[in-house]
Amino acid sequence: MMAASREFEFVVRKWNAWVPGMKYHPDWHDWFNNQDPIEPEQALISSNVPKPLQRRLSPLARAVFNAADACIDNDVAMPVVFSSAHGEVNKSLEMLKDMQRGEDISPTAFSLSVHNAISGLFSIAHSNHQEITVLAPGQDGIAAAFIEALGLLQEGHDDVLIILYDEPLSEFYPYLPFALTAKTSGALALKISWAGDGLPLQLCRSSEHRNDGEHALQIFSFLKFLVTDDQSLQLGNHRHSWIWQKK
Amino acid sequence: MENELKQLIIDALDLEDISIADIDSQAPLFNDGLGLDSIDALELGLAIRKKYNVKIDAEKEDVVKIFSSVATLAAYIQAERS
Repeated sequence: MMAASREFEFVVRKWNAWVPGMKYHPDWHDWFNNQDPIEPEQALISSNVPKPLQRRLSPLARAVFNAADACIDNDVAMPVVFSSAHGEVNKSLEMLKDMQRGEDISPTAFSLSVHNAISGLFSIAHSNHQEITVLAPGQDGIAAAFIEALGLLQEGHDDVLIILYDEPLSEFYPYLPFALTAKTSGALALKISWAGDGLPLQLCRSSEHRNDGEHALQIFSFLKFLVTDDQSLQLGNHRHSWIWQKK
Repeated sequence: MENELKQLIIDALDLEDISIADIDSQAPLFNDGLGLDSIDALELGLAIRKKYNVKIDAEKEDVVKIFSSVATLAAYIQAERS
């Protein structure tokens, strides 16, 4: 535990998000203010992704690829920190149901159900051989991904890509009173550096005890922070809280 | 049988852009041909077991030969079923 809270300053060089239904809205403000019931929709992905890989991309993987596209330079690979509370757990649940029915499990579904499956496909598709980390922070929310990424910058990397993603949890799981699932899927990609053009932010710990829901909900809180004039965002659970401030 | 197997390959492996006519019965299924990989081989083995009740044992020496093309695969399934 840190005795005194330290402030970390960094710059969001680029960011991009994918949420379902965005194409029906002129901008992010409109999307946040008018979230009608959303039809299932597949995120578009770059045609640069090799065909044999495209068929392996789940809707959540497509959301991740779509969000990341605007933040990556194809010829420069950078370390990536993936962060998702639930990953492809819905796929695991389907396989468990198959087992319960006495059916064989699909080897493809199994290989794509693990928490680092999307990151693996991402690294193959973009020939990215840099350090890739996949977090499952759950209750600790999105801050853990920033801490991890700042650590990579500290190690000397020029840029680090953070990708936060989650999809609604199957109703099979009792999500109340944990506040651990959002209503829609979402993927938010942020390319961060110590300096340069972009949105300068400061991150520090707070001693306030609060509960802003788990990772899946915090993605949308952070997206809202990016698109509005809000100068600060505080997110936390009963143990840790973090404050992001625009500089 | 070969066309039926081609459709099974397309369905089991989500080859959305490929039709039966695109698959050459004699061409290699893996790597150079359709570009399938080892996970596809497992998935196809499972689909064949479900549809034809024919189990292709991965420990068998001739597994590479059996999976080499649609023609060899069809011949193996037919031999096992008869």
